Amino acid sequence: MKIRVKLVIGIVLSGIIALLLVYLFIYNKPHTNYETEEVTSQLAVKELYHSFLSNKPLADSLYTGKMILIEGILTKTETADSMVTAVFVLDQGMFGDEGVRCVLLPKSYDLITRFKGGDRVKIKGFCSGYNDTDVILEHCSILN
Amino acid sequence: MKLNSILLIVMLLIASASMGQKYVTKTGTIKFYSDAPLEKIEAINNQVNAALDTETGDLVFRVLMKSFIFEKALMQEHFNENYVESDIYPNATFLGKIINAGEIDFKKAGTYKTQVEGKLTLHGVTKSVKENGTLSVSDGKIMAISVFPILLSDYEVKIPGAIAGKISESIDITVEVTMSSVN
Repeated sequence: MKIRVKLVIGIVLSGIIALLLVYLFIYNKPHTNYETEEVTSQLAVKELYHSFLSNKPLADSLYTGKMILIEGILTKTETADSMVTAVFVLDQGMFGDEGVRCVLLPKSYDLITRFKGGDRVKIKGFCSGYNDTDVILEHCSILN
Repeated sequence: MKLNSILLIVMLLIASASMGQKYVTKTGTIKFYSDAPLEKIEAINNQVNAALDTETGDLVFRVLMKSFIFEKALMQEHFNENYVESDIYPNATFLGKIINAGEIDFKKAGTYKTQVEGKLTLHGVTKSVKENGTLSVSDGKIMAISVFPILLSDYEVKIPGAIAGKISESIDITVEVTMSSVN
């Protein structure tokens, strides 16, 4: 009888622990830490942009949904709705400037003010893809 | 030859004068919201491209599906991998027109009711939509807001059998864009 009770308690406790682990580590798992996430590719801003222009499916398979590191000449910084975006303009089109847009993490807001248009900048970010005008990088950090 | 050149310049001037001014943004917002017994689903995308030609009323929206941010990482994963399949269908687009653009004075500050119709493409499926919105002209900028529901089944977004009925079939979409002139 005692063994049976212990067994039932053990099963119930194991179940509760399993549910708790599922809740904490699967259902409620944290978002990727974009600051510490390793990059899978490192390339020039122009190379990234032109790879999407010349072969989008290939570029998607290489860069979209991945953390990448890019380096290039900054054109300008834009602020909209408290979001700061580092912009690399490489072309002109229907939506005006086209190129690579990097939405910065708040921790990089101060860092980007040290740079002006024409400066060389190294940025790490999560590539969301190419929207037919720009390659979008999000959760970006300045690395130089 | 000289006369031809003058004619060409005159024609280009007339053509450019008859073209409407174009307003664009690359930082528009689209939110979606759904409340259901199992899960409240809410996400936001702040990287929305939008363009409006005030002469023709032509309106374009482009969205990268991977730019939607959810509170829960697991929900974001499921959204991209199982629901909208963003690796296969990375973009959502709307190509349409403000039907009553002729009634709007885009040069005069004010708020106007609008009707927009066009084709919405999501998850590789294109559907005709006709929705109401509000357009405000202020300080040389145009702000457009629209809230409308879509049915997931219309865009062949499948909800797994185990949780069907616990996730709402209808999703409320809120579009907010502030566009600036590019001409």
